[in-house]
Amino acid sequence: MNGDAMSSDAMNGDARLEGLAKRLGHRAADRLDVEATARKVVERLREQPVRRIAWVQQTWLRIAAALVIVVGGAVVVRQNLVRGNSAHAAHLIADDLNDLSADELRDVLATFDELISSDSVAVPEGSTDLHELDAQQLRAVLRSLEG
Amino acid sequence: MAQPQLIPTPHDTALIAAWQAGDEQAAAELVGRHARPLARFLAGAGAPDADVDDLVQETFIRAFRSVDRFRGQCQFRTWLLTIGGNVLKDFGRRAARRKVIPLDDGVRDATGDPHEHAEASEAEALLAAGLQELPRLQREVFLLRAQQGLEYTEIAAALATTPGAARVHYHHAVRRLKEIVK
Repeated sequence: MNGDAMSSDAMNGDARLEGLAKRLGHRAADRLDVEATARKVVERLREQPVRRIAWVQQTWLRIAAALVIVVGGAVVVRQNLVRGNSAHAAHLIADDLNDLSADELRDVLATFDELISSDSVAVPEGSTDLHELDAQQLRAVLRSLEG
Repeated sequence: MAQPQLIPTPHDTALIAAWQAGDEQAAAELVGRHARPLARFLAGAGAPDADVDDLVQETFIRAFRSVDRFRGQCQFRTWLLTIGGNVLKDFGRRAARRKVIPLDDGVRDATGDPHEHAEASEAEALLAAGLQELPRLQREVFLLRAQQGLEYTEIAAALATTPGAARVHYHHAVRRLKEIVK
């Protein structure tokens, strides 16, 4: 087959395809009641202002809801992080209690002065001064602080 | 004998302006002008026959509501057809969410004449099926060019692309469709 014949075949193929494409959908178009469609479209367009306002309100409502979720989520996550950090620190202190000397334990307890002064901490009976406590008693005080 | 006076038909742009000024008849006139080509485009792009009427309505509603965005970059009909493409895409998504099982072509349209369906050429059916295999842009460019007879510059303006790119999409589509239809 020479070049001209191939080109002619290709053009015929294109023309055939375009012919088919032009016929595509003609049955659906022929069945369409254009006047009725126009009437329905106009009727629906009359509702446009109301629906537009409703759409705008819905959109703002969705934006507001999304903002509440994002801000609320951020607050909850932040609180959890803060709580998580303090709990983690307490566990670290408690885990290492056995490795601390009496002096080191006193230093740690010194940071809890305010807590110790409250009623919630179990200070061994008969002892009001931390310096009089031995290591075992200091550990007991610290573990009571753990809650 | 007096010659009948020819009443010039208003241009689409004039009808759009009239609609924007509140003339409902202008909107009805625009629907009358473009509804059938739009229906052919939607059906060609894969709209089920039974839904074409609803999709045509939805396309016009969407077009009239956003007509402020039509800047005359292309013909009103071309712009309308691209909106029709979006409406059809949304329809497809909704159908997928509802998990609608597509009916066989032969039984999909209860109102259609079975003899007409039987008369539809095999090649036409193959082309319709082949179009569904194409990417959306290729399908729309092919239909705008081959079915609606638009120029590449017009297609490019409507689809926010270049005439060269539109031409490439068309040729890719033709090449694949020829393989399917031959």
